[in-house]
Amino acid sequence: MSAPPPADDRNRFRRTLVRVMAVQIVTLLLLGLLQYTFTP
Amino acid sequence: MHPLNWVVVVGWLTYIVYHGISKSRGTKEIEGYFLANRSLPWWAVGLSVMATQLSAVTMIGTTGQGATDGMRFIQFYFGLPLAMVILGVTLVPFLRGAGVYTAYEYLERRFDAKTRSLTAFLFLLSRGMSCGAIISAPAIVFSAIFGWNISWSVALIGVPAVLYTMVGGVQAVTWVDVKQMMLIVTALVAVVITLLVQIPVSPDQALHVAGAAGRLRVFDFSFSLTNQYTFWSGLIGGTFLMLSYFGTDQSQVQRYLSAKSIDEARSSLLMSAYWKIPLQALVLLVGVLVFVFYEFHTPPLLFNPAAERAVRAAQPAAYAELERRVREEPGTRDSVRARALALSAAVTGQPSKDVNYVIPRFVLDHLPIGLAGLFIAAVIAAAMNAISGELNSLSTTTVIDFYRRWVRPEASDAHFLLVSRAATAFWGIFASIVATYAGSLGSLIEVVNRFGSYFYGSILGVFLLAMVPMARGLGAFVGLIAGMTVVGVVSRAAPSIAFLWYNVIGAATVVLVGCVLSLVPSRR
Repeated sequence: MSAPPPADDRNRFRRTLVRVMAVQIVTLLLLGLLQYTFTP
Repeated sequence: MHPLNWVVVVGWLTYIVYHGISKSRGTKEIEGYFLANRSLPWWAVGLSVMATQLSAVTMIGTTGQGATDGMRFIQFYFGLPLAMVILGVTLVPFLRGAGVYTAYEYLERRFDAKTRSLTAFLFLLSRGMSCGAIISAPAIVFSAIFGWNISWSVALIGVPAVLYTMVGGVQAVTWVDVKQMMLIVTALVAVVITLLVQIPVSPDQALHVAGAAGRLRVFDFSFSLTNQYTFWSGLIGGTFLMLSYFGTDQSQVQRYLSAKSIDEARSSLLMSAYWKIPLQALVLLVGVLVFVFYEFHTPPLLFNPAAERAVRAAQPAAYAELERRVREEPGTRDSVRARALALSAAVTGQPSKDVNYVIPRFVLDHLPIGLAGLFIAAVIAAAMNAISGELNSLSTTTVIDFYRRWVRPEASDAHFLLVSRAATAFWGIFASIVATYAGSLGSLIEVVNRFGSYFYGSILGVFLLAMVPMARGLGAFVGLIAGMTVVGVVSRAAPSIAFLWYNVIGAATVVLVGCVLSLVPSRR
């Protein structure tokens, strides 16, 4: 096993996770909006 | 097709082969050939990762699926962003830190040689065959549309890809992928714009037409083990599939091993996390708009021209009657098309697979000159991207996990480079032969694909087990076999379970069996 990641890496990962999840949620919301607006 | 379209296609292929071969300068040893001396920037690796997954099947089959089935296929990718983040923290630093050429090499360090060899062998078997399937899908479509012999279609796609991959290794593959991705996205955007111009209503009304036919239904929140495309199977099963594909499949692992640093490798994966779902949405949207287009223009009764020719020749009166009904009673179009498909299956003895011909027929019949050539070049580019990445990784695994491990461990770099190029050529020829005979090997290909889904999750299980400190070699090897066996039994006993769940079942079985067996005290 490798050594535990340094604090900098953990923080960068946390920021990345938040960004990726935010983009994912926005994408899903846009797709939901597409379905909701145009599907009777 | 208009000669100007062919000029576009041939011009692009010539440029790509020249570009790929020119990138081979400096590839004098195997680290350069297989890993570009770990020097590539994240954005190039990221585009290459995306390009390797975007095959001609995406350009033809997925767009066709958008036309016939709508947007719901996109749920398949919902697990991808999470998988990319998990891999960025776990396997990427693991494999980069280990300084390996292949993911399977790491397994010998962690467990033993037999676990490494078995996983590498499973990769060669499945990827070698799937490489043939990747070429055959567009080759069969081109043959049907242009009336070519299948060998010519296979050669058009296979020869350029094998040539630059063999000469330039991973550098050629990556830099060609970057250029080809630009072409593919340009072609898709150009087709969307052309469709919006050609559809005789506003974009808003066009989307209402698509929505009324259910083509814009994206989400299905029902929890069903048998439905392939639901939110939950995409999110849970899809996460395991993407973890397995990006984390343990050498064709993907090799891409990020060639990045400059761990951070650049992570960033390259995150490019997929950000862009994969929007890109797939664009691909499906092309299909949806083609569906709308045919709501305002009479579509062919059968999109597959080879099937159409066969039915016209064998049953001219019946086919003419169906055409007359579609012309005079547009409301009966769906039922008449179903009858035409049944007629085609009866005449040709096989299903028409019409969905794969919807987009190519639209492109050739309705796109302006030049743009049709651009789209056909993009389909060939997508096929080449997918197979060049696969060929490079097949060569790496053959040389590193078998030849250097078991046959000639002490040979010079120059020797390994020569063998690597020979291995690339071998796998290229193998894939081309599989692609040429794919039509007659139909059931065999299906068996191999099914077999592949049996062990994908199990291989992921072995890598997950590698992160458990107590796990040992015996547990990993037996766990891998147990995982594949359980998935095989489940697929036989409950064939209705969607294949995305096989990945979850396989991975869980390996980790469970591996941990239990690792508790058994060693004799030594």
